[in-house]
Amino acid sequence: MASKIEPGSPQPIYLDVQATAPMDPRVVDAMLPYMINDFGNPHSRTHSYGWKAEEGVEQAREHVANLIKADPRDIIFTSGATESNNLAIKGVAKFRKQSGKNHIITLQTEHKCVLDSCRYLENEGFKVTYLPVDKGGMVDMEQLTQSITAETCLVSIMFVNNEIGVMQPIKQIGELCRSKGVYFHTDAAQATGKVPIDVNEMKIDLMSISAHKIYGPKGAGALYVRRRPRVRIEAQMSGGGQERGLRSGTVAAPLCIGLGEAAKIADKEMAMDKAHVERLSQMLINGISDKLPHIIRNGDARHAYPGCVNLSFAYVEGESLLMALKSIALSSGSACTSASLEPSYVLRAIGSEEDLAHSSIRFGLGRFTTDEEVKHTIDLCIRETNRLRDLSPLWEMVQEGIDLKSIQWTQH
Amino acid sequence: MSSVLRLAMRAKGFSRFLAETQAFPVKNRHFMTSSVRKTGDFEYEDPKSEDEVVNITYVLRDGTERKIRGKVGDNVMFLAHRYDIEMEGACEASLACSTCHVYVDPAFQNKLPEPLEEEDDMLDMAPALKDNSRLGCQIVLTKELDGITVTLPTMTRNFYVDGHVPKPH
Repeated sequence: MASKIEPGSPQPIYLDVQATAPMDPRVVDAMLPYMINDFGNPHSRTHSYGWKAEEGVEQAREHVANLIKADPRDIIFTSGATESNNLAIKGVAKFRKQSGKNHIITLQTEHKCVLDSCRYLENEGFKVTYLPVDKGGMVDMEQLTQSITAETCLVSIMFVNNEIGVMQPIKQIGELCRSKGVYFHTDAAQATGKVPIDVNEMKIDLMSISAHKIYGPKGAGALYVRRRPRVRIEAQMSGGGQERGLRSGTVAAPLCIGLGEAAKIADKEMAMDKAHVERLSQMLINGISDKLPHIIRNGDARHAYPGCVNLSFAYVEGESLLMALKSIALSSGSACTSASLEPSYVLRAIGSEEDLAHSSIRFGLGRFTTDEEVKHTIDLCIRETNRLRDLSPLWEMVQEGIDLKSIQWTQH
Repeated sequence: MSSVLRLAMRAKGFSRFLAETQAFPVKNRHFMTSSVRKTGDFEYEDPKSEDEVVNITYVLRDGTERKIRGKVGDNVMFLAHRYDIEMEGACEASLACSTCHVYVDPAFQNKLPEPLEEEDDMLDMAPALKDNSRLGCQIVLTKELDGITVTLPTMTRNFYVDGHVPKPH
């Protein structure tokens, strides 16, 4: 059925929720009072302005904790998942170094801020193992087990990948790390509020959370730091000793309250959101692959979060397709590395061929995505892919049955 | 004068006032007050016999060592106060600060009881935390701890850049 949405409408359809999600209006409502009347510093102990703000922040802490089945005292508010990842990785590494633990294990497909934190620590003399993943983007548990040594202080593996949506076996990893006496950190920016998380059952020691990925405000996040058994980390910011001494600086009350409200809503509506996103995801994948040949889904579909669909449109340049789909806000990779002309390092890690990696597009579906928008996206993808393929000499050769891999291309 | 005594006198004066105004008859109330012993006084007593001596070494911020003859039951922080060792203890051992933070000789670490959750929470606030960090106010000497060494960290949360050293209250 053709879509009723007219192309060229002023506001593009938003299908990039892995980059950021729109704020839920209920979150805005919860934040506003703390920007206008209850503007106090939550650390001011001598007057009602401070008490009111503190009450709001502590309630938000409780909501975040409830979402991941943690104790509110385990939640440290930060400025976002990037800061949380930095604090967790550098904080653990620097604290554990004194006891001879100077080895970290992570995946090649982690978010840039995890990889960069590890690279920073390598320059400081730490040893880092960057484990490869299989073709589906999954960690090899056997390889992970063998990589853990007596010097290993931390394993950092993300929950849901931001580019291909693959979910790692977090519970298994947690159990392995606990049995080896190694801290386990997971970047759950793309998983929190979307999939059920129980930090105790999954034996997670540290976990990064982002507000704007769960329909909250930008500039707020949290780090879960286990208190029993106690996880010690070295603070990366010196000052007044706020947030259990682990993250000094005045807590941004309105933003944290926004994160708390977003967490509360996600907790309450997770099943509904999941069903909605799963249905739209199936509609999108089937709608495109039924009408277009040579469409490859990147990442293991059996272990993927349905709201993140990464497709390679063979024989089409991804950037060209993005420009052709300008009435839809999409992405050809992570927003953090999209200025680079290199193919996505995540797609390289899963063994995607360079031409396919260059032809990939990420579709992000969320709470506010509608059936109409998905139908319009399907129609436009089919139309524009066919148009671009018709312009491609490679597509013509494939149609003629020529195996492109057998061709010896000459350099100019 | 102890606060208990002060309270007793105030109550006595109030009952006299009531009797004089004859609002209603009041019987004399008798308050019993025991001698007040300040927290930390125990540490100012010397060991009564060699059997209860516990030797402890404090490594000061400048690296010098102070060997002290403590006794069973002494609190490491109050004992430091007796010998003018620079360990502030701002909250007077009520587990509300981290200014008596010390590093315990790893050989003695497992001879100490597990820290309470409240102690761990306060240690989170201590700068230059290590695996062998403990609060001095939570370490009570036993015979098993004879020969223990505790090291003072280079700074605490209440450090002053002008060189001022906070004194125990």
